[in-house]
Amino acid sequence: MSEQTAKDLRFECPAEIIKLTEGELNQKLAEMGCVPGTEIEKLYSAPSGDPIAFRIDSYVLGLRSSEAEQIVVKTNDELETSI
Amino acid sequence: MRRVALVGNPNCGKSTLFNRLTGLNQKTSNLPGTTVDSHEGKVKINNEWFELVDLPGIYSLFTNSEYEHVVVSNLIGKNSPKPDAIIYVLDSSNLRRNLLLLSQVAELKIPAVCVLTMEDTAARRDIKINAAELNKVLGIPVISLNPRISKDLKPIELLFSKFTEGTLISDNPDMHEKLTRFLNGEPNRGISTETLNRYSNIDSIVKRIVIRENKKREGNTLKIDKWVTHPITGFLIFFGIMLAIFQGVFSLAEYPMTLIEHSFSWLRSQTSGFTSNEYIIDFINSGLLSGLEGVIVFLPQIFILFFLIGILEDSGYMVRASFLSDQLMRKLGLNGRSIIPLIGGFACAIPAIMATRTIRNRSERLATMLVVPLMSCSARIPVYILLISLIVPAGVLWGPIPAQTLLMTLAYFAGIIMALILAVFFKMLGKNKEQSEFVLELPTYQAPRIQTVINGAWLRCKSFLNEAGRIIVIISIVLWALSSFGPDNAMKEAYNKAQIAAEKNPDKKEQIEQSYLLEASYAGHLGKMIEPVIEPLGYDWKTGIALISSFAAREVFVGTMSTLFQTGTNNENVVGIRKKMQAEINPTTGKPAYGIGYAVSLMLFYAFALQCISTMAVLKKETQTWKWSIILFFLYGSVAYLSAFAAFQFIGNA
Repeated sequence: MSEQTAKDLRFECPAEIIKLTEGELNQKLAEMGCVPGTEIEKLYSAPSGDPIAFRIDSYVLGLRSSEAEQIVVKTNDELETSI
Repeated sequence: MRRVALVGNPNCGKSTLFNRLTGLNQKTSNLPGTTVDSHEGKVKINNEWFELVDLPGIYSLFTNSEYEHVVVSNLIGKNSPKPDAIIYVLDSSNLRRNLLLLSQVAELKIPAVCVLTMEDTAARRDIKINAAELNKVLGIPVISLNPRISKDLKPIELLFSKFTEGTLISDNPDMHEKLTRFLNGEPNRGISTETLNRYSNIDSIVKRIVIRENKKREGNTLKIDKWVTHPITGFLIFFGIMLAIFQGVFSLAEYPMTLIEHSFSWLRSQTSGFTSNEYIIDFINSGLLSGLEGVIVFLPQIFILFFLIGILEDSGYMVRASFLSDQLMRKLGLNGRSIIPLIGGFACAIPAIMATRTIRNRSERLATMLVVPLMSCSARIPVYILLISLIVPAGVLWGPIPAQTLLMTLAYFAGIIMALILAVFFKMLGKNKEQSEFVLELPTYQAPRIQTVINGAWLRCKSFLNEAGRIIVIISIVLWALSSFGPDNAMKEAYNKAQIAAEKNPDKKEQIEQSYLLEASYAGHLGKMIEPVIEPLGYDWKTGIALISSFAAREVFVGTMSTLFQTGTNNENVVGIRKKMQAEINPTTGKPAYGIGYAVSLMLFYAFALQCISTMAVLKKETQTWKWSIILFFLYGSVAYLSAFAAFQFIGNA
């Protein structure tokens, strides 16, 4: 089963960050609070679908879809059904 | 005097606090070798003066860009005195991410206090902070205060006597040494793991201190953002705002500009009272005062445009504009962050080129700087107005649109489209070696703080005065000399000819003299010298003189043409010059010398050519080499020449 990344999330379905894939942006994303265990939610995107705005815990971060692909996530079924 | 540094994330209210505390008692400084500004100011509290430093907002000490380098050098006392104390500014609505930076800086063991801002935003999301508990955990005084709305700064002033060395959130040895290595560009292993460990310590603190009853999002910002990023309404809002800005700049700047022009006319009328030496009077009036006027007259437009951009930046909209445009910009080899410098370029390329400093990727920043001069700056407007009036009289409608407005818009678009083409061209030629990144926080919308916005706009004006001001004045004086002096024989002959010509028209004697002498001057010789080169574009030697004099500032074109056509030195007298230009017949073709082909060709030339020495100087300063200024001068010169040539050959002089 392939890993689900933040890019694949459905809008307004909160999920949890599992890990960051290795890459140059790794450190930068971690500093911005994208660390394992953090809640992440896709909020909206630019008209072309890229970049995408995510809620990271309690603030909003804009990421290109290539950047969002580096964040591996797990959807939280409980939260998803409550929307 | 004790030195106190303000440390915090971007958008946490740090600069607002700084502005509230220092008022206008502040200055900007650049760390040697960097282009990032840090602001310093003095504040007197309880009869003691403190030196306050507003360091750039950053998220972590270890991200490799100029911003972090400035913060780190300041904190460890490299190139500037080490701070004696620190004020941490933390955004309550986002405490977790804000604590990361605090946990890193705390390891430098500098006495500190902590200010929690944005309590109102936090409250709207049902977030409460237990400040007393945070005080216990950090071991430093903690207060809650929103510098945007709070009237009373007393609680902050009290903090200045309470700086304390706190307890550490996570204890990593040798922070000072690690930061020194970081500044020297040596690798620091294990920073990623360290960041994860820090967050796990922070998370256990946040659990005790942040009380969140439910995970409600802030509704309003999200609602606005859905409109702002919507495929249809998003672009409507963007273009609506841009239109409003330009309308605002033109209508608001008119009054101060007229005032400045009148003041200078008055000053000129006063010079004859001090001396009777005609050369000195002429030097002061036409050289010095014209140069100064050419600088000061642009300040209103630059200030108003950057004031309006500042409102959009401070409220949070500009970040959304970057978000909207990032994909298009990326295709052009630019970045979403390029949008602010590009818009600023419509006022003046100098502050706009300096505004590219927020773009971290070097090739994207360079590409943005290289296309900014193609945005039609305010100095081109008077030239466009004169040339457009040659093509079509005021009041003519093409369909529902006034023809002159349409042509003006087209001139702006010519610059924008050429910028797009050349951006792609630069992208194909150059290699982007660094990782291109966006990663941009979209902060909660805030009511803009007028004082912050005014300070920002004034800083842009100051950079224009410093960088462009001197150059424009010097070049104006050189041009005055070139157009006042000439080979002795030629000048005498011209003077005699002028006397004969003036006999028929005695009330215009002075203007006729000026015109004949200008033709015989060194500037006139230069104009005639380049005539063969510019003839294929439809220009004569008079236009040649005006082109050369435009190197001070482009709008000088209008003044030079009015001297050549003996309409007096009044810059506003577009109607007079227009009539004379329209009546002029080309002696070889027998057709009008300044027809539609001439006007279109010259407009394209002014839209594209890099006729601005100040821009070249600033570009040199920002890139640390003359290479790009020289390349751009020839590249944009050839583009301007070829398009002007094509336009003139295609249209001809009807």
